[in-house]
Amino acid sequence: MENFNKKLEELKGNNNNPFSVPKGYFEDFPTKIQERIISDNKEYAWAIKLFRFIKPQFALGFIIIGFAVIAITTINFILSNRTNAGIDSDLYTRIIEVDASEFSEQHFIDVLLEDEKKIDDHKKEESDFYIHYLVDENIDYGTLIDEL
Amino acid sequence: MSEYSDKELLLLFKDIERRNYAFNLIVRKYQQKLYWHIRKIVIKHEDADDILQNTFIKVWKGLEGFREDSKLYTWLYRIATNESLTFLKQQKTKYLLPIIDYENHLKETLESDEYFNGDEIQRKLQKAILDLPEKQRIVFNLKYFDEMKYDEMSKILKTSVGALKASYHHAVKKIENYFKED
Repeated sequence: MENFNKKLEELKGNNNNPFSVPKGYFEDFPTKIQERIISDNKEYAWAIKLFRFIKPQFALGFIIIGFAVIAITTINFILSNRTNAGIDSDLYTRIIEVDASEFSEQHFIDVLLEDEKKIDDHKKEESDFYIHYLVDENIDYGTLIDEL
Repeated sequence: MSEYSDKELLLLFKDIERRNYAFNLIVRKYQQKLYWHIRKIVIKHEDADDILQNTFIKVWKGLEGFREDSKLYTWLYRIATNESLTFLKQQKTKYLLPIIDYENHLKETLESDEYFNGDEIQRKLQKAILDLPEKQRIVFNLKYFDEMKYDEMSKILKTSVGALKASYHHAVKKIENYFKED
């Protein structure tokens, strides 16, 4: 390795830099850099001017979008609350209790029909009670209507 | 034109009215050193020119905030080194080439480069240097060609002096092997 280090030093002694550049490159380079800085500054200034010009339009756009988002969110919130109020919470419980994984559209229809049927049965029971009362008390239906 | 010291140049740059003049002097003072440093990493003149321009544009933008924790010379070399390494990384991803292929591409560039004036041994040395890993290549170039001291190199590459010495030693050994094999 010592010998190779010497060889490297010898090699350097001949010509330290084997590369070259086009004629006048280093003389012209500072001017090239100055020109690039000036053009960069112009681009930057143009971008700032454009931004200043479109800033009010951007602000207005953002305000409109903001209002739209707030309005849509509020409407969605109100609508979802209204839909929830119309459905009996017991019905949900029953559906989940059966087995949520096996829940199908048909199942949902069956549960709704069953619910309606129960309401009808309740009404029938009530009217039977009134008929029996009228018969037991011997009250004529026509007289009752007249009294009312 | 008497050459200004780095401190004088930085002081001159702080004066807004003389900023352009000061920057021009900085460019004139360091353009050659930085160019040769970059050129030995990327080989091709056109690439070295682009990187040198980008380096000085970054210097122009950052010089106002330069806190003088390090020497101006060290800071400039660090920017130039980082720009060169970023360029190499971009080239490798741009052409989707594995590292070994890109180094071969650089060797081919060396063969056809009209701005390479070295003889066959120097061409062989450059090819051997291209076989080194990037960081090792930079360490070898800074020590061998620029004759930079290890503690200065340590500030540029943010690596310990011991690691740099080891890196240079390995680089010389690899180059020696390249010469023996070829």
